[in-house]
Amino acid sequence: MIRRARALDGRSVLRLGNGFQIRLHNLAAALALGLACLALAALAVSIGAQEVGLADLLRSLTGEPLDPASAYALWTVRLPRIVVGFLAGWAVALSGAVLQSLARNPLADPGLFGLNQGSMVAIMLLLVFLPAAPREIVPLAALLGGLGVGLLLIWLVGGARSGGLAILLMGLAVETVLSAITSILILYTPPETSYGLSAWLAGSLFQASWSGAAAFAPWFAVGVIGIAVFGRSLAVYDLGTDMARAIGEPVTRSRPVIFVFAVLMSSTAVSAVGPLTFLGVLAPHLAAFVSPATGRARLVLSSLMGGALVIAADGLLRGLPSTMALPIGLAITLVGVPLFMITLRLRTLRRLQAP
Amino acid sequence: MRHRGAFLISAAVLLVVTLFLNLSLGAIVIPTSTILSAFLSFDRQDYAQNVVLYQRLPRALIALYVGALFASSGSVLQGLTRNPLASPATLGISAGAAAFVVGGVMLFDFGLEAQGFAALAGAILGFLASLTMARFAGLSRDPRGLSLILSGALVSMLLIGLANALLLSDPSRRADLLSWISGNINHVYADRLFSVWWLGAVSLGLLFALARPLTLMSLGREQAASAGVNVDLVTRLSLAAVMVGSGSAVAICGPIGFVGLVVPHLVRPFVGQDQRLGLPACALTGAIACLLADMVAREAFQPFVLNTGVLLDLLGGLAFLLIVKRFYLAGGEAAR
Repeated sequence: MIRRARALDGRSVLRLGNGFQIRLHNLAAALALGLACLALAALAVSIGAQEVGLADLLRSLTGEPLDPASAYALWTVRLPRIVVGFLAGWAVALSGAVLQSLARNPLADPGLFGLNQGSMVAIMLLLVFLPAAPREIVPLAALLGGLGVGLLLIWLVGGARSGGLAILLMGLAVETVLSAITSILILYTPPETSYGLSAWLAGSLFQASWSGAAAFAPWFAVGVIGIAVFGRSLAVYDLGTDMARAIGEPVTRSRPVIFVFAVLMSSTAVSAVGPLTFLGVLAPHLAAFVSPATGRARLVLSSLMGGALVIAADGLLRGLPSTMALPIGLAITLVGVPLFMITLRLRTLRRLQAP
Repeated sequence: MRHRGAFLISAAVLLVVTLFLNLSLGAIVIPTSTILSAFLSFDRQDYAQNVVLYQRLPRALIALYVGALFASSGSVLQGLTRNPLASPATLGISAGAAAFVVGGVMLFDFGLEAQGFAALAGAILGFLASLTMARFAGLSRDPRGLSLILSGALVSMLLIGLANALLLSDPSRRADLLSWISGNINHVYADRLFSVWWLGAVSLGLLFALARPLTLMSLGREQAASAGVNVDLVTRLSLAAVMVGSGSAVAICGPIGFVGLVVPHLVRPFVGQDQRLGLPACALTGAIACLLADMVAREAFQPFVLNTGVLLDLLGGLAFLLIVKRFYLAGGEAAR
């Protein structure tokens, strides 16, 4: 049973029989973003050196054979790249949105807080010192690294004061220490390993493949389901710890659980494509610009926006007539830094207007 | 006042001792008498004397130059911005220089001389970009200068990202620059020291000459102006000196920036706020720190020779942590 109703603030919502409700404009925005992702993916399929596009893909789906080069370009290079990119964008944006609610800090980002760097150091240590270890435990190492940095940060800052810029500085400080360790590893591993490591460090989709996507998918699914289940509480966190307690939210128990899932999302993305710094800030803010939302609707919108951004950025980069293959992580950083400054600026202005 | 002077003298003595240690320790330990005779009566046939003069001395001189310049630049920047985290490394200077050198080499095949100028241009650009960004983000209303450091870090991230993208585009030349970009004190860079040392000397001299007005300004711009200091002129001159000085240091051996962050904090408890004593003390201590770091990087991890810059980054990052904790999180002051 679905019916249209008005929420307490007078906006129109859809209300389901079990009490679940969603704002109409959020739903519309989610549908629009989903369609945008599909459209971008359709465009991205046809970008590249090999002349093959969406029409060929549809024909091959109906059973018509393609010539080997086109089939290779489509099925082995472009499609996995789009899928992995979308999932990674989704994961990072979701993690960023969750962290922002947890820390009550609109500038929270798994990259800026150093969580990504923690995951990377853990993965690099694993690859350099235990090269024989099975690939399946790479996401596990990433998770442990990210959690380690997260706990360190909480211990250093103290949860109560995480709202300010100080936690960002602390994250940057932690990142400096960890990146010194990364540069040591990069400098003293053999040249081929070193090159591979730094290509991956820059965040790239060059090596995306179906087997990579399959290794990435279970962790991704666990994270998404976990956040979907426990995400209810996030809307309450946005009100502040005291208010959340007053409403009856078991803050001390639910907060760590959600935090673990947020780190799981970001570290999974790191192990799949490397760090996508700034995406965790950008996607939620852009999504809020398209359609302001709270609670789980905000998470869904942010995630879709993250996926769309990565597909678009990757498509653009491949379309560039350049000899320099810019890794996606760097491209997002290049766009992200100016946008981040604008966010910071808006934040300052808002603080001035507030009494 | 007396014990402050004593700090300066003991720092100078310690510098000489570290210098000798640096020259004598290594794969072969060279006795002091051989080092002295390498300077006084050089014998071309003697292997140890050749090692001292052509391998260890250039390395030690680079460490000395870089340490002194970064440390005094950091001290001046911290005084001018009145921000405990200001330093060439945190305000985009090192990253700008590194990005421009990498860009120059990868895109235009710059030679050694041109690389030096690229480093200077990059240092200036990186610093100005950080300032502009901070102003844009609302620096003037931010009493603790958080956004200045944040914009410096973001600009550095951007520039280092660009440099890395360029490095990744050409695997064969990447190997040559990789060591430099992570800060490497090495005798092969001695030519660069000989071509830019005068820049550092000029800027250090200028900073020492401006020590008195800089001290007054660290108390507050209005106070300094009322004491007869031309605040704008002094700010411009000293910033120019800092950019040229630390830019030239980056040009020699890559970004070794955290000396600039840490050393002023080490020195300040001993000599106080007065830059007339503080600057020479910073320069001496910075040189000692770099010489020591160079020695540790060379010897402690045998058979590997670590890059001095990486080692200092590790230590500097830890110091960064402590400074943030102490100045921005301590004492129930609500974080903004």
